Amino acid sequence: MSDSSNQIEICFEINGRQVTQTVPVRMHAADFLRHQIGLTGTHLGCEQGICGMCTISVDDRPVKSCLMLAVQLDGAKVRTVESLAPDETELHPLQAAFKRHHALQCGFCTPGFLMLARSFAGRRMNRAEIAEEISGVLCRCTGYEGILRAIEEWLPGTWTDASLSDEAGQ
Amino acid sequence: MTVVHKTVMESGTAIGQALARKEDDRLLRGGGLYVDDACALRQFAMAVARCPFPHARIRHLDVRAAAALPGVVHILTGTEVQCLTNPITVLRPVPGAPMLPYYALAQEYALHEGHAVVSIVAQSRAVAEDAIELLEIDYEPLPHVTDMTRVLDPDAPVLHPQIMTSNLMASKTDYSGNPRAKLAEAALVDYDRFFVNRVAPLSMEPRGVLASWRSGARELDFRSSTQVPHLVRKQLAEALRLDEGAIRVVASDVGGAYGMKLGLFPEELLAAVHAMHLGHPVKWIEDRMEYFRASTHGRESFHDMTIGTDDQGRILAIINEYTNDIGAWNSPFGSSQLSSVTFTGPYHVPDAQVCRHVVLSNKTPIGAYRGYGQPEVNFAREVLLDRVARKLDISPLDIRRRNLLRPEDLPWRTPSGAVYDNGDYLRPLEMLAGATDYEAHFDRPRRPRADGRIVGIGLSSFVERTGYASARFLARRGSHFGAHESVTLRANRSGGIDLYTGVSTCGQGNETAFAQICAAVTGVHYDAIRVHAGDTAQSPLNTGAFASRTLIAAAGALKQAGDAFRDKTLRIAAMVLQISPEDLSIAKGLVHSVREPDRTITLVDVFNRAITGQGIPEGLEPGLETTAHFEPPEASFSFGSAAAVVAVDPETGDFDIERFVFVHDCGVAVNPLLVEGQVRGALVQGLGAALSEELRYDRETGQLINGSMMDYFALTCSDVPKIELMHTEIPSDVTTFGVRGVGEVGTIPPAAAVANALCDALRDYGVAFSALPLTPETVWRALQNVRNKGETP
Repeated sequence: MSDSSNQIEICFEINGRQVTQTVPVRMHAADFLRHQIGLTGTHLGCEQGICGMCTISVDDRPVKSCLMLAVQLDGAKVRTVESLAPDETELHPLQAAFKRHHALQCGFCTPGFLMLARSFAGRRMNRAEIAEEISGVLCRCTGYEGILRAIEEWLPGTWTDASLSDEAGQ
Repeated sequence: MTVVHKTVMESGTAIGQALARKEDDRLLRGGGLYVDDACALRQFAMAVARCPFPHARIRHLDVRAAAALPGVVHILTGTEVQCLTNPITVLRPVPGAPMLPYYALAQEYALHEGHAVVSIVAQSRAVAEDAIELLEIDYEPLPHVTDMTRVLDPDAPVLHPQIMTSNLMASKTDYSGNPRAKLAEAALVDYDRFFVNRVAPLSMEPRGVLASWRSGARELDFRSSTQVPHLVRKQLAEALRLDEGAIRVVASDVGGAYGMKLGLFPEELLAAVHAMHLGHPVKWIEDRMEYFRASTHGRESFHDMTIGTDDQGRILAIINEYTNDIGAWNSPFGSSQLSSVTFTGPYHVPDAQVCRHVVLSNKTPIGAYRGYGQPEVNFAREVLLDRVARKLDISPLDIRRRNLLRPEDLPWRTPSGAVYDNGDYLRPLEMLAGATDYEAHFDRPRRPRADGRIVGIGLSSFVERTGYASARFLARRGSHFGAHESVTLRANRSGGIDLYTGVSTCGQGNETAFAQICAAVTGVHYDAIRVHAGDTAQSPLNTGAFASRTLIAAAGALKQAGDAFRDKTLRIAAMVLQISPEDLSIAKGLVHSVREPDRTITLVDVFNRAITGQGIPEGLEPGLETTAHFEPPEASFSFGSAAAVVAVDPETGDFDIERFVFVHDCGVAVNPLLVEGQVRGALVQGLGAALSEELRYDRETGQLINGSMMDYFALTCSDVPKIELMHTEIPSDVTTFGVRGVGEVGTIPPAAAVANALCDALRDYGVAFSALPLTPETVWRALQNVRNKGETP
């Protein structure tokens, strides 16, 4: 079977814009976002749902996009790491916290951690709970400490009503 | 604490400042440029068919059905590869070993599961993978050997019978003094065999390549995930029979490497051969199943360690005979040699001997991996030293106190000829003893707590060889690279510096550290320095990012190039301002008079004058660009001690590491943020290898049992114990700015610290550990062993 033999048209929202695209039925969502939409910030580390670097937000829930087919994105609201920063000069507060705490080295896993952690906004979690929740993404460089510190620092800022609605609106 | 260089120059930075990284913004935004993020027009995708057996003869190979699949454009087999390429060359040969002709595809015989047999290029990766299913390959499975203790048995199959008569690649002995005689005098001699597990370096970005051939120009553009672009270029030229000038290697962002991405891999060469044949760009991105079977693994070895002491626990001699199992081939970086360099560790042992054997087996090749021989031998020596202490009724702390090299013993030459530079090895140990309240801890009886667990504490002292001791040293060992680093600094019209380095960006923060040193030396602001890394077409020839050596060598190059850059800048400014260069300084984008700060000229003006050659002193060459190559005169050694506190359940063997304390000296820290990141990251890799990581081969089938992310247990965030770090900062007297390397040290002490802590907790049971990883099952089995002998308390 070749790639072109079986395709379906899907319509979905990606980082705030509506897109209609034809996708091969056997292509997974991460490959689709990277190679057809051109959003290469979402990375692939295992394609079996373990390493977590392909984590994206689908209808405001974190999802490992290698375990999802592109056709499943039909009708969904999708966000990737490229949607976080407001512009080219400023970082999202979570990204800024990652930078302050040296929460990244090679940076390959970073989009996965950011997209997962972003979904914690508004939740009250202690260090152990954060550690448990981010164990769905692997990092081989940092030893995780910087990532934990960054999320711990950023999270309380999401507890106010204003920042909650801001987060939800992003 | 001594700080030697206070080069605060209003340049936005100084050496020693914890600046946020230059690399971060793009990586945080998903704007990194890893290999698979680049694409070329009309690119094709490559996939590789791999042997499922550990050892097989390829009796028959029929590619016709695969070639007929729509979308398939090119297929290579071993026969074509032998015509079109030379075997992949070795960068760091195993001294004394025969050359094994390592072709990119198997030649009649496949020697490990995952050995590449056919490569297929198609319109997409999916089509190429479909085509693999259509290959007809008739394998004749042959007897195999995967157990490293059996590879030299008389009935073991010889992997390379045309070249070798056994699976022994090479042996090498180093010694000093008369260790055998000293052992005969010793009050106590202890011995054991220690097994070190085979692990995966596990970069999160797998290997990958995008090869483009411009046939009109006969030029190869080669985008690769590598630590060593210039060395890959050399190997490509040799394998493809091209002039180096025809090849450009680019490594933009590299998603982790840890020693594994050192040198040319077979699949990368195949992509280039396909691209040259097709005139189309060819991309190959490794999937994780391939990664586990066909990249390179790390570590696997066993160490026969003997320590002899007097009745006070003073070490009289160490003899270490060890075997490195390097799998089926000598990978570009050969076998780890650092076990031989650091086997005596931080101790005063004039009489010592080490013997290394390098052997082959039907497994994936072993390559360099962070620490590269040092964690292995540290585990054996430190665990055995604790046993000696226990037998002599000396505390593990005291036996280390008695044996550590003193500042006045340094520099110290080890049996292998390596020279430890200056340091104070006792201080980190004493800090560790204080921070853990070791003595009180150790003296407590080992009774279960309320939760049923028994607490124990274990120590592990270490040195880390960082950098290389000169090109002469490397030449004696046949290495095809130097010990230097190089940089080019080029002024641009915006008043900034373009900094070019062949060191690719693999996560260590080299862009940051290089810019930081450049700013401190030149006075040009940190933000005005842009680092262009990892492109052989731009950067001066260099060595690469490995062996904890980058900054040791690059600091010297940056100092020299920076000084020359600053001198010329000041000469031009001096002419314009009519002030002597000695009375000028550079800060905030200006050259200004030191005495009259209002008399200034902008760097934009100075650099434009230099670039155009208009308005510069008579006789001064136009342009403002400096290049420097620097080779450190010696390697530098980091040192320190670590402790683990564990709580173990003597019924189940389950245990937790409740504290892990690490005290370490890496000389002057250029950026403490980066140092902490390197140390923590390496510690967690070291803990992973100690606690849960192990690539296991089925003895019967010779196949890798757990070659997937799902079955290979790298530590997740919730697995990592609390880690406390402390530093001493004794500037190295053999490096620029007094830096020591820091990239690998964290991998060295964890295994021994944890093993020693477990033994300490269970000392009333008398258990011993000689193999990694240390799992609850290992502990439970050790306890069962003792119980079965009826020796439980």
